[in-house]
Amino acid sequence: MRDYLLKQSLNAVALMIGVTLLSFSLLVYFGPDQTYSLLGKNPTPEQIASVHQQLGYDQNFAERYLDFLKRMLVLDLGYAQSSGEAVSSLLARTSMISLALLLPGFVLGHALALLLSMLSAQYQGRWPDRLISMASMVSMSTSTVVVIIALQWWLSSSGDSGWFPVRGWSTDSVIDYLRHIAMPTLALVLVSVGYHIRIYRAVICEEMGQDYVRTARAFGAGPVVVLFRHVLPNCLLPIITRVVFSVPLLLVSGSLLLESYFGIPGIGKVSFDAITNGDQPVLLAIVTFSGVALVLVQNLADALYRWVDPRLRVQT
Amino acid sequence: MLEKTNRDGQLLRRVLLATLGMTVLLGCEDRAPEQTPQLKVYRHAMDQATVDLDPAAAATIYSTFVVNNVYDTLFMYKYLARPYALKPNLAATLPEVSADGLSYTIRLRRGVKFIDSPAFDNGQGREVTAADVVYSMMRHFDPATRSQGAWLWQGRIQGLDQWAAAGADYSKSVSGLELVDSHQLRIHLTRPYPQLPYTLANAFSAVVPKEAVDHFGREFSRNPVGSGPFELVSFDTSKAVLRANEGFRSVPVDLAEEGFDPAVHGELGIEAIAGRSPPFVDELEFHFVPESSARWAAFRRGEVDFTLAPNEVLDLTLAQTSPPQMAEELQTDYRMRVATEPAVLFNIFNMDSEGFGQHTDPLQNERQHALRCAIIAGFDWQQHNERFYFDLGEIFPGVIPPDVAEFDPNLSTDSVIRDVDYAKRLLAEHGWTAENLPLLTFGVPGSITQRNIFEQFRSFMLDIGYPRDKVVLQQFATFGDLNRAWKRSELPIINKGWGLDYPDAENILQLFYGPNRTPGSNDGNYQNDQYDLWYEKASVMQPGPERTELYRSMNRLLIDDCAAITGLSRTQVLMWNRRAIAYPDRAMVGGFYLRFVDVVED
Repeated sequence: MRDYLLKQSLNAVALMIGVTLLSFSLLVYFGPDQTYSLLGKNPTPEQIASVHQQLGYDQNFAERYLDFLKRMLVLDLGYAQSSGEAVSSLLARTSMISLALLLPGFVLGHALALLLSMLSAQYQGRWPDRLISMASMVSMSTSTVVVIIALQWWLSSSGDSGWFPVRGWSTDSVIDYLRHIAMPTLALVLVSVGYHIRIYRAVICEEMGQDYVRTARAFGAGPVVVLFRHVLPNCLLPIITRVVFSVPLLLVSGSLLLESYFGIPGIGKVSFDAITNGDQPVLLAIVTFSGVALVLVQNLADALYRWVDPRLRVQT
Repeated sequence: MLEKTNRDGQLLRRVLLATLGMTVLLGCEDRAPEQTPQLKVYRHAMDQATVDLDPAAAATIYSTFVVNNVYDTLFMYKYLARPYALKPNLAATLPEVSADGLSYTIRLRRGVKFIDSPAFDNGQGREVTAADVVYSMMRHFDPATRSQGAWLWQGRIQGLDQWAAAGADYSKSVSGLELVDSHQLRIHLTRPYPQLPYTLANAFSAVVPKEAVDHFGREFSRNPVGSGPFELVSFDTSKAVLRANEGFRSVPVDLAEEGFDPAVHGELGIEAIAGRSPPFVDELEFHFVPESSARWAAFRRGEVDFTLAPNEVLDLTLAQTSPPQMAEELQTDYRMRVATEPAVLFNIFNMDSEGFGQHTDPLQNERQHALRCAIIAGFDWQQHNERFYFDLGEIFPGVIPPDVAEFDPNLSTDSVIRDVDYAKRLLAEHGWTAENLPLLTFGVPGSITQRNIFEQFRSFMLDIGYPRDKVVLQQFATFGDLNRAWKRSELPIINKGWGLDYPDAENILQLFYGPNRTPGSNDGNYQNDQYDLWYEKASVMQPGPERTELYRSMNRLLIDDCAAITGLSRTQVLMWNRRAIAYPDRAMVGGFYLRFVDVVED
């Protein structure tokens, strides 16, 4: 066990150095130069040099990278160049909002996809399967923007219905929260469920063709028992992989389109603005924490694999 | 077989029930009100977000809308008067100007207080004094502030640039910023600067307390401590919420003084605010909605009270464009104002660029002048206006836009009328052929609209004989990167918009003043000794016919020199809900009018 943990830790350190070095290099050599966004209308060469120096652009790459690593180690994330807000509070504030925004859609999307995939697999080749597959294709082919705009018109602003707010964010009460996440959740489910179904259906269909399923049926097990007691546990590894590796996206990248169109101050919008503005402190913090989240998720996935599949425990 | 079918049916029903359950969960809502009903709330939608609330960074209209409402400036623009006219705000009166135009004495109102803040010793806001005004101007010159507004006073105020060069030590005074007493200051200029009062109405000049800057440090940009009509409640990437500053001074509205004209404003219900002291709403919300479809949907739903009508819905919004008239079905719910921006859209030639610019060899100079004039003649402003501005923009010759008092209505419009034959003739007469025409690189920030603007520009150039492969696009990831290319003089043509910072044509004419060449504001590196002489003479003159004539002469010189493909002022369709009593404006004055907005509940 100690060897395993040591190996995992070394992997994590190597991954973090790789991720930060690559992203730092990309930002330094290909990222936007903020100097000219922060200058006034009639800058003098001295003012340009001053801003350049304040942004640290005059230092060499190694100095900048080491300084960045040092600050990350002590969790000194600095301040956003564009807004002046402390990056730590910016990320803490916005990632929680993104989590609250995306979690219901994430859970519902996966749960719904799983149910429909099982249904599809059970009726493989028959009309429910064909209907679900077609719906899944439509879901995958439809642009997120189109779904959002259509929902805003149909459920918010058309006629006198106005079931949900067109946009905005409030967590003042549970009801307020539900009202504001209803449409983003629906949009998220509609655009993501197709992809989930495609994967889950393939996995379940493959498992349904196994000998043990035929045996279970021969022993008189009903479809619910077969699906939930026998097939689902054997499909868990790919399902866990898909679900667990999506978690960092909830925490770090958010959803730019949902946040932009529904006016939700989450981390997706912050990330997008940081990329387009070249706001290095924010971007580097996001990239670093994405790396950390990935490492954690990898370990979580490993632990879950061993929990659901005893054979892996023996191998370890 | 029958048993299997039954089992299948059971499974199908269970799944359908589970799906239905989730759908019900999604849809459940009880229409809770969004805010306490007794509060008067005005919601203003903007097409971009405010990112920084420090007056020193108030370089965009989006920042000024918030900054002007949480901070005070010495002067402000009258609510309804057009052309724009100044009136005292934090100052008690307009400034007293010395006979030589070098000293401005300004007295402050007494009893004006900053809002309460932990930045102050006892947490309670203290009185605003002349020392705060001096400090607020000095900090623009402190490199640590990273101000974007220092250019307003750069080289203008005695000792200020030297104070910055000597290390920006706040314990040392600046000779040009004299404190006469606690509520009076005198500004000493290096040379006359008639635009100074305008700069003191600009959001950059908003007065901040030193305690707050020191207390919040970098995060001062998110923790405004001002003496304006509102104070900040919350601020994020989608919304800023302000509430009325309860301690705001009482200044009853004098409609006549504000420029009320019954013929223009009579229908808007503005008489209702006469004699009352602003602000009139309890809460002022700014909704940042870059996506035009979401902004329009929110406006139609009544979630915001104001929006600029997006181009995509103008055909639904307007019954006709000339003159613009709102569609009948919208008239019961909304009001509309069509306003020309005090700004210019133009394409400036870079006079340093190979092939296009000014040349030391007279013959080559003449050839390159002809090339620039041919490009100008080939540009179709009418089509540009139709394609990108819904035919609502105002096309005018030169660089002085119609919204400015110095605009010359009698100036020939030849320079904005397309003449392809003339352009071809000019090129032929000066020996330009498809083989020897120089590469014309068109730099734009990355967006579909900008790409379309380039494609249109290229089609115009093809018409006058420019080969397709010699009109090329260079896209930049951000506006900052494009700005860097301009400042480094890397592009032959600079397509940009310039919004006026104050209602004086000098603000645009300085873009062509030789000493302002890159990295200064003269991105085109235009150089003409006669122009510079006139500019220097006019820039120290008070407004009057003589100065206006000089401005117009400079404008004509730019046209004769074919310095730029110019120009167009965009027209904006401002729409607001009838429950709001307002006369919206989106010009350089940036949101100053919001203190006068009132709402009537349905």
